[in-house]
Amino acid sequence: MKYKIGLEIHTQLSEAGTKLFCDCDSNYRKYEPNTNVCPVCLGLPGALPVPRRNPLKLALLVSKSFNCEIPEFMVFTRKHYFYPDLPKNYQITQYEKAGGIPVCLKGILKYFDSDHLTWKSVTLRRMNIEEDPGKTEYSGGNILLSEYAYLDYNRSGVPLLEVVTEPEIPTPRDARKAVEYLLLTMEYIGAINPRLEGSFRVDANVSVEGGERVEVKNIGSTLDLEKALKYEIFRQSKIVEEGGKIKRETRHWDSIRGVTKPLRSKETEEEYLYFPDPDIPSIKTEPLLKEALSSNFMTPENFMNRITMYGVSQRIAWSLITVKPAAELFLESVRIGSDPKITARILAIDYKGLLKKSGKNIYEKSNWPNKQILKLLSTLVSNKLYTYDELKYNILPKLLENGNDMNLVLPEKVEPTNLIISVINEEKKAVEDFISGKREALDYLVGKVLKKAKGKAIDPKTIRKMIEITLTKH
Amino acid sequence: MKETAVSILENIRKGSLEMEDYVFKKLELIRKKDNIINAYISIDSEDFILDRINEIKRNIASGKKMKIPGLVVSIKDNISTNFLPTTAGSKILENYIPPYNATVVEKILEEGGIIIGKTNLDEFAMGSTTEFSAYGLTRNPWDITRVPGGSSGGSAASLAYGSCDLSLGSDTGGSIRLPASYTATVGLKPTYGTVSRYGLIPYANSLEQISPMARSVKDLALIWDVIKGYDEKDATSVNNNYKSDNKFKICIPKEFIEESEPPIKSTIYKLLEKIENEGVAIEYEGKFENLKYALPTYYTIAFAEAASNLARYDGKLYPISSEGLSYKEMSENTRRYYFGFEVKKRILMGVLALSEGFINDYYIAATKGRRIIRDEILNMTKNCIVASSVSPILPPKIGERIKDPLKLYAMDIYTVVANLAGVPALAMPAGFYNNLPIGIQFMAGPFEEEKLISLGSLVEEITGLYNLIAGD
Repeated sequence: MKYKIGLEIHTQLSEAGTKLFCDCDSNYRKYEPNTNVCPVCLGLPGALPVPRRNPLKLALLVSKSFNCEIPEFMVFTRKHYFYPDLPKNYQITQYEKAGGIPVCLKGILKYFDSDHLTWKSVTLRRMNIEEDPGKTEYSGGNILLSEYAYLDYNRSGVPLLEVVTEPEIPTPRDARKAVEYLLLTMEYIGAINPRLEGSFRVDANVSVEGGERVEVKNIGSTLDLEKALKYEIFRQSKIVEEGGKIKRETRHWDSIRGVTKPLRSKETEEEYLYFPDPDIPSIKTEPLLKEALSSNFMTPENFMNRITMYGVSQRIAWSLITVKPAAELFLESVRIGSDPKITARILAIDYKGLLKKSGKNIYEKSNWPNKQILKLLSTLVSNKLYTYDELKYNILPKLLENGNDMNLVLPEKVEPTNLIISVINEEKKAVEDFISGKREALDYLVGKVLKKAKGKAIDPKTIRKMIEITLTKH
Repeated sequence: MKETAVSILENIRKGSLEMEDYVFKKLELIRKKDNIINAYISIDSEDFILDRINEIKRNIASGKKMKIPGLVVSIKDNISTNFLPTTAGSKILENYIPPYNATVVEKILEEGGIIIGKTNLDEFAMGSTTEFSAYGLTRNPWDITRVPGGSSGGSAASLAYGSCDLSLGSDTGGSIRLPASYTATVGLKPTYGTVSRYGLIPYANSLEQISPMARSVKDLALIWDVIKGYDEKDATSVNNNYKSDNKFKICIPKEFIEESEPPIKSTIYKLLEKIENEGVAIEYEGKFENLKYALPTYYTIAFAEAASNLARYDGKLYPISSEGLSYKEMSENTRRYYFGFEVKKRILMGVLALSEGFINDYYIAATKGRRIIRDEILNMTKNCIVASSVSPILPPKIGERIKDPLKLYAMDIYTVVANLAGVPALAMPAGFYNNLPIGIQFMAGPFEEEKLISLGSLVEEITGLYNLIAGD
């Protein structure tokens, strides 16, 4: 059954530094309740919103990255609804009707489908900048058991960029890839840290052929987005196949149960009394954009082009790009003469694996070796002082332990034949076991050889192969 | 010669006037008279004032240059102060003490002013008589059976009975000029954007300006100099170094005077004659085609913005709150019980003007009307200062006008135009009729406040009507 998917992605400009209309912190998570607030973001009578340059500049950069039509002026509008976490009971946003003008009118979200190693695109209807509301919390985390509702306005006024696509995304998987690419681009621009809790939310519109549009709200991760869409398409298709009708409604994604639940039926547009905010004159986009573009930035696509130019495969390149410090380090160290393929392999696969295994944050640049060390490492292999596997098993783990130590003592190379022979002589029982077909015995023997070679450069794969050959000859 | 703010300032600077004596005399006057006039909603404690006087004295001793050291200033209660409650004349903000000061308040404190109290107003500045305050009506010191005008009636009355030297009001559609004309005081509605609105509790953001008031144009110039200027906390604030020349011609569009009551018409025409005799060119053939659109345009925009601005008062952030089983119930009850009738009426009309299906015929139409009126005014004030009545009627009796909303709103016909166009306008005494003050309005082009002040100084020399205190 045919279906259509459109998305509204609410992204927090968490890295903007300030809120949208005041100088409170855009990253509110580290504060005690109601301590990251001021008269402006509390909406106190008489306090006035003054648009801050950085959030606007970041939003313009995102617009520019997706080939948006950027209007000459932006106009902020007020959207009215009564809600406890909305201090003024209106949200300052950029509605494109009733006199408002958003930051981006039409654009193209080009994204990388890493499953098929190919670029795809979806049309953007618009992007608009708006303020995030505060939060309502309940003691014990439960609305039914809590005697009070607690309001925390630390988040109130944090800049959001709402990105709206046309309903033309082909599959739930594509929806996920598109959102991941959007977030990655925004991370490269320095607008968002998508790994922060609650830094983005997605509302998805889904309609199957012959049914009306259903909106699924409150999707908090890209994995959930794919799941929610799959679920919703299945649910709607089933109803239509059984002769039922899909009515226009809003549903809620329950990530714990993995289902969507009805929230409210949406017969008509709600009345938001939109009108241009009289406290904020229209804002010229050109000078801001010019200022924003003066700091050079690169999109993931720029990185992909540069990295693959060095002969690195798209798959490895993508693996670098998904971790911004790794992609940056790659280019930095190649620029000073590192071997591209070896460096890519270290960063994209082996050192990343080691970092993950040790529980270190791969998105923290200081956890990675610096460009000089990377150059040294790649030279060791390209000059055949060590094999790549010797590097991987003996040098990289040490590097991880010692951190960025340029005085890394390189392990002595050792001729493994004598070690193997002495192990085979000592471990008669294991040898017999192996010959009689027990594969685990081989692991044991390799381990014994490595123990004897302790501290020296040795490649377990070669050892394994050598033992195997030696014993099969018997 | 009566005391003026200018002469008091001189005496304070010379040291011939003791600040404590002076300010405590004012406090005593307030104690004696304000239970009848009701110009103030709240007044500073004596201790607070003493501390303030000592602070000013220390600043003087340390050589700090200040523009108004020791002058007593009253401030309309919709301008935020962190040392006195700021209620906007509404029950819904009772006991609300803002955690911050309005920019103009900071400036007055910085320049040595003594803010003695907060003055009464129509609830959220919505009214033209100061009868719609939740804290009781204010009486006109010239005739206590009459209103002082509104919404800054408290500020005007506080000046008119001599309880302060200078005052700040706010003017959304004539809210300082009408009271000035009814109390024989002076008020200047500045060019939109020349005085920071930061800290002014909003009624209609695109129309209003905090505005200085005094008992003479020369006194007014003192406080104008303190409060004007760009403020980065207000995005609509303008950074402007415009210097207006002091050459002026006056023009009179008939529509701006003809519909006034006969005593007002004759007083203004007589005054204009005298001004002409002083060598000021006057052109009597002016026309203002679109005056008939001014009131509907003004009220539609004001109500729409008000409906939005007043959405925030729902009981969650301010001291006043009704109980309810849900947020919806709590907010509905809070608004039902603590907003006054006039405020609720204006919110409802504002919501209508912005609603789907109505917005084109009301709000959008009004913004178009506003552009037409603004263009006409800008064109007219390019070459001359527009003189007119301030109010078409003499100060009405208490209770007379609020019965009929259309009659009430019609009082603003000559004043709303300056707000729609964003241009400056000065209201000042023109004469008296049966002991009731009559005012004249001068409206100039954008940023021509200095020109209005020069003309106003000339006019007050001609009339001799300045530094008038009711009951003296």
